[in-house]
Amino acid sequence: MTRVSENSSHGAIQFSLNRAKRKMEDLQMKGSTLKGITRPSDNPIANVEALTITSRVSDNKQYLKNSDYALMNLNITETSLDRLTEIVGKAKEIAIAQSSDFYDGEIRKNVSNEIRQLQKQAIAIANKRVGQKYIFGGFKSLETPFDKNGKYKGDNGHTSLEVAKDFFVPINLHGQEVFFTTGNTGNREAHPLEPFPEMQNSPQQKDPNYKPSPDALGEPKEIDNSRDLASVDNAAKGQNEADFHQRDNLFAQLDSLANGLENNDNVLVRSLLEKFDDTTSRLITLRTRVGSISNSIMDSKNNIESNNIDSQTRRSKLVDADVAELFSDITRQQSVLKQSYQSSQGLLNKTLLDFVR
Amino acid sequence: MADLLSIGKTGLAVSKKSLETTAHNIANVNTEGYSRQRVNQQTNSPIAKGGLIQGTGAKIRSIERNHDPYVEKRLRASTSNQSYYEHRANQMTRVENIFNEVDNDGLNKVINKFYNAFRELANQPENQTIRSVVRDTSKLVVKDFQRIRGTLDTIARSIDQKMDGEITDINTTMRSLANLNKKIQALEAAGDETGDLRDQRDLNIKELSKSFKIHTYIDGKGGYNVNAVNVGTLVSGTQFQELATRPITKTDSTNNMDGSVEIYFKERPNQPITHRFKSGTLSALAKVRNEDLKALQEETDNIAFEFANTVNAIHRKGFANRKVDIDANGKPMSSDITGKTTGINFFNVPIQREGAALQLSLSNEVKDDINNIVTGFAPNSPGDNRIAIAISKLQHEKVMADGSATIEEKYLQTIGNIGLETGKARLDSEQAEGILVQVQALKERYSGVSIDEETANMIRYQHAFEASAKVMQSANEMFATVLSIKR
Repeated sequence: MTRVSENSSHGAIQFSLNRAKRKMEDLQMKGSTLKGITRPSDNPIANVEALTITSRVSDNKQYLKNSDYALMNLNITETSLDRLTEIVGKAKEIAIAQSSDFYDGEIRKNVSNEIRQLQKQAIAIANKRVGQKYIFGGFKSLETPFDKNGKYKGDNGHTSLEVAKDFFVPINLHGQEVFFTTGNTGNREAHPLEPFPEMQNSPQQKDPNYKPSPDALGEPKEIDNSRDLASVDNAAKGQNEADFHQRDNLFAQLDSLANGLENNDNVLVRSLLEKFDDTTSRLITLRTRVGSISNSIMDSKNNIESNNIDSQTRRSKLVDADVAELFSDITRQQSVLKQSYQSSQGLLNKTLLDFVR
Repeated sequence: MADLLSIGKTGLAVSKKSLETTAHNIANVNTEGYSRQRVNQQTNSPIAKGGLIQGTGAKIRSIERNHDPYVEKRLRASTSNQSYYEHRANQMTRVENIFNEVDNDGLNKVINKFYNAFRELANQPENQTIRSVVRDTSKLVVKDFQRIRGTLDTIARSIDQKMDGEITDINTTMRSLANLNKKIQALEAAGDETGDLRDQRDLNIKELSKSFKIHTYIDGKGGYNVNAVNVGTLVSGTQFQELATRPITKTDSTNNMDGSVEIYFKERPNQPITHRFKSGTLSALAKVRNEDLKALQEETDNIAFEFANTVNAIHRKGFANRKVDIDANGKPMSSDITGKTTGINFFNVPIQREGAALQLSLSNEVKDDINNIVTGFAPNSPGDNRIAIAISKLQHEKVMADGSATIEEKYLQTIGNIGLETGKARLDSEQAEGILVQVQALKERYSGVSIDEETANMIRYQHAFEASAKVMQSANEMFATVLSIKR
């Protein structure tokens, strides 16, 4: 069709102007937010990926917070174990010194006071608090775990934290494993999701041969009373056992040492040396365990931090507008618009009437 | 001589008529839908006189409009198409705005905050401040679910209102169509076509085609019929069938909402025809409401339902954060004077999947006392955080889509789908608009008035008029000469 009418040229002008202005509007919106996406439909796939990355980054931030909190708790536990080791070392020195027949009963009585002091210190460490939480109480963290006689009122729960996806670390040691010789110092930690076998992330679902660890429910375990330690005071044996719950805890050993010194009982003092050795080696094992947990947490922290940087980079690539490209687009579009205006002018302004008489 | 005069007279008349038509064209240059009119001249019947066959001047055979019915058909189809995609794109943009998380917090971020709040609580289950943060974050989740579902409902209802308005307009247009048919019939009984009235009729039909796809034909009795494709005859000669709308109850409705609107013929109220329209505004609105919005409403409800149930299932297993009495057998008591100690729900249990997003709320126990937020699996164990950890691990549990997607993944899938649909609708709309503009340009080029052309015509006819007038003047002078022979 070679003919052109007023309306068709008018329509053509409107269409091209609108198109140029619409593109201009879109670019202006992008320029003011500096984002390449203003709504999901601009780039649906990038939008979904950006949202996934945002979730992951915020999860990682929480994991980092958890890691820091775990490290704090583990450090305090480790320092406490350190001091306990010192106390046991000192007690052992005194026991060695006093076990020879060199000293007489009077000196031994004086020395026993020092042992009583050490015992008090050990109980103070056992009842250490971080904030309002007792760190050696297992799950019963709001009650004093040990009374002044060394009786353990807590349970043997391990609080775990998730410091990276599916990576759980225990952040405490409970009183039983630190202060009781026959306590379980094995490495089988109860997985925190054990009580929920229906969850897909629970250890039962992930490994069909999984056997729940013995202290799965965090109930205080029954531990057999050891009978090989001869009691000084046979008449008070029943009372002692009732007091100490069972014979092989650190406070009982210190108490026995003090009693032995007061009563000038050489044999008792000598028999305690081996117990102190056991206690020391147990404390050292626990310290190693705590140390290695701290190391793995710090590793995972580094990992998470570098993941975060990578994720943020990717997200920025997806969502942010390339500033240079954006502004050159805007400039170009502005000149396109100006051209459209000018070319419309020629079409709209003149008709044949202007030229005829 | 007399012949000369009458031939001149025909010339004058024809030129004057042509000039009138040109003036009519120029006056209507901006009238919408106007097709320019053209004068068809023809020679008068020749006569045989004095052994010669000679012409007797000119006459006007007809005034006809320049109109191409094929282009008109294409224009209607493009109009229906463009209107369909434009309305679809508009409504989908409204829907997509609900799920737009580019700049501000949406459901994805809020649910993520919820899981991380429980992780924080797992760090220090004894800490009451963090407990109350957990409760506040949960309130945000509830609010956002309600916002999404509520806005979806609002959009559905606004579509209902729009349909009502459309039907009213359609009825008005059909009424004027029937009137025009009557007038055209009356005028054309005398003979020719009336270009102006037909133009108006075509304009009305174009208006109608915005709402749905149209088919027109002349029936056996010569009446002009307008038919909505796949629905039925709407205008038949001078009669028309009115359309009406009616709100439907939830059980019978097509989109599972109370009060949704259905369209039907006024005379036949029991047969809804909403789903039968093709192309055009009505069909776009119906599709968004009955398919896209409905799917989104169901999806949101599903997510809320699973979310509440999975959290509750874990939460019920633990014990509240206060002293729990142990009974004679060594088992913890399941309730005391304050209330339940175990089996406490975090959210109110949703009654059914449908409407779960709107009904979602914190349970009364949690609202009353933050110590009812359970973190521990064992009673009387303030340091036990296993329930809190398990709830935070729900983030990675695949509970949606028959166990293939986590809640976050499913929600993001939904957003992705909407983004794709809306993007597609927008592209389609731009494309349809481009086609419409092209067809309109075609029509305008053929039928539109060009002032340059009319100006040139004006000059031509004016010259012809002057020339014919001169002929008559010559005839007059010749007659006068003859008359002055005898003084």
